[in-house]
Amino acid sequence: MSKLRDFVTRDHRYVLLGTSAVAVVGMLLSSSPRPAMSFLASAFTVELVMYYVLAAWLVASALALAFKLTHWKSYAETSPLVRPPARRALRYASYVIWAIVLVLVIDRLVMGLASAWVAAVSATDRPADDFLQNILWMFWVSRSTYVTGVTTTIALAVFGTVIAFILALLLVFCRIQAVDRPDNDFVRFWKVVGTGFAKVYSTVVRGTPMMVQAMIVYYGILGIIRATGDFSGAELNQIWSAFNAGLVTVSLNSTAYMMEVLRGGIAAVDKGQMEAARSLGLSQWQAMLKVVFPQGIKNSIPGLSNELVINIKDSSVLSIISVFDLTFAARTIGGNYYDYFPAFLIAAAIYLVLTMVATWLLGRFAHRFNVKTEAVGSTSDTPVKVEE
Amino acid sequence: MSEKNTGAASVAAEPMVRIEGLRKSFGDLEVLRDINLDVMPGRVVTIIGASGSGKSTLLRCINLLETPDAGHVWFHGSDLAAEHVDVNRLREKIGMVFQGFNLFNNMNVLDNCTLAPVTLRKMGKAEAEEVALRHLESVGLADFARADVNNLSGGQKQRVAIARALCMQPDLMLFDEPTSALDPEIVGEVLEVMRCLAAEGMTMVVVTHEMAFARNVSDEVVFMDKGVIAEKGAPEKLFSSPEHPRTREFLSRYLEG
Repeated sequence: MSKLRDFVTRDHRYVLLGTSAVAVVGMLLSSSPRPAMSFLASAFTVELVMYYVLAAWLVASALALAFKLTHWKSYAETSPLVRPPARRALRYASYVIWAIVLVLVIDRLVMGLASAWVAAVSATDRPADDFLQNILWMFWVSRSTYVTGVTTTIALAVFGTVIAFILALLLVFCRIQAVDRPDNDFVRFWKVVGTGFAKVYSTVVRGTPMMVQAMIVYYGILGIIRATGDFSGAELNQIWSAFNAGLVTVSLNSTAYMMEVLRGGIAAVDKGQMEAARSLGLSQWQAMLKVVFPQGIKNSIPGLSNELVINIKDSSVLSIISVFDLTFAARTIGGNYYDYFPAFLIAAAIYLVLTMVATWLLGRFAHRFNVKTEAVGSTSDTPVKVEE
Repeated sequence: MSEKNTGAASVAAEPMVRIEGLRKSFGDLEVLRDINLDVMPGRVVTIIGASGSGKSTLLRCINLLETPDAGHVWFHGSDLAAEHVDVNRLREKIGMVFQGFNLFNNMNVLDNCTLAPVTLRKMGKAEAEEVALRHLESVGLADFARADVNNLSGGQKQRVAIARALCMQPDLMLFDEPTSALDPEIVGEVLEVMRCLAAEGMTMVVVTHEMAFARNVSDEVVFMDKGVIAEKGAPEKLFSSPEHPRTREFLSRYLEG
């Protein structure tokens, strides 16, 4: 945020070129047709003046560029534009340009969207010939279907991730068991079995597609339930609904990936931590629980957070077993109107919003645990300040 | 401490640690070859030698952080190397200080010190904190009790590590190059704490490159070379008239430098 502020208030380097680009956008907007709710439509003279101000800026910039190209070597000394008063004037003028373009953006784009929305909502028939209105109309008419889909998707992702986290904790505990000197044969046997099970589980789950896993979980357990008693179709659906099967699939699938993330986080804990704990007399189990696990889980927070985002998106494959998630909702709506493109565009927008919100929330959450989230290779570099 | 001192006086003839025929190899590399060493109660034994001579491995065999391939390590009369011996119980009585401090990063200074007493001695939290504060006081860090360990300097970290080990009231303290990761200016503060500990009568085995410490504080100096004890003896004798040519060569480097 402070970078943006500095860029706007201090940095001169991009004033001419950057604002010219913005001015071109404004001129293009100004020459596009006015939407129904445009407020500049009643103030034609104002818009004309605004258009010429934008044009004037482009001319001024072009002159400055020409001067710079012809006086390349002595530009810094001879140009009237580099003197502080001129620079200040240019900067204030650039604010005016930005303000004009902002007004144009509101008039054309925001008001355009608003007009299309009002038209779409009040339309009796599908406005199939207007692309934007068509999308908005489909969204409005099918809103309850989308809400059902989004709710299911969020439920699958959130519950699936939470269940998977708990299972992954148990599984990674089995996975990292190492035979310790004081262990008796019984303990040794179970440690070997636990490690083996975790390895096989991880390999099988990560090595098969989730769509196939969903089919196996759904039809496999359906078959088992059917074999155990005489149930009607409605009863079966009650006991083993597609949603339940989907939740089980997401949880079991995510468990394997989360286990690997946790294992990595735990492996990254310095070996000396374990040695120090053992040297004080703590057992392997006590050292794990009190010293290694807390640090390992903290290391894993970025990777674990990522699993939630992945589950939001990957739960879409569950529509193969008719789980009514966002993807299934979009397919249903598209089918209703024989028009899949707008239905899935809306779905994509909703998925994007969901993942962005999840990423932001998880970032805040990680921040509370002091997890470093700086960009790789970043330094504490601050922007160069140009003298006024 | 006082209880230990009387113990040391009464069974002075019995070694606290007896190492017999100890062997250890990592793959094809023989790190320890037939080591025999006794550590008497209340004595300070310093192990010196070049890097890779097996000093640290020998030390780590005493509390079984490394499992010996052959031989015996007797501590208070029980053989650590025997199958199915409860190593955890014996380790409670053997404190260890590492080159890399190894303070628990997920806890503050006080919790580092109280973790083991609370977990293993079933000591109340308040009582354990009282003991811990006393030991932190003795290493001069009582003011840092609530500090995050990641914000301490190297010397402070190492002194916390010593206090942490002392909280279990060990009979024996092992020091694995405790000052090697510190810069020369703060080596002194750690050595000072160790010197006080030795003066109080703690039994110590110290692996170090601090020759002045070895010479002035220890009761016995062991020189290791290529996995064997080349020479051992009283510090005055070993430093002034070393018998083994390797010892002479090794020490001359230090005395020149």
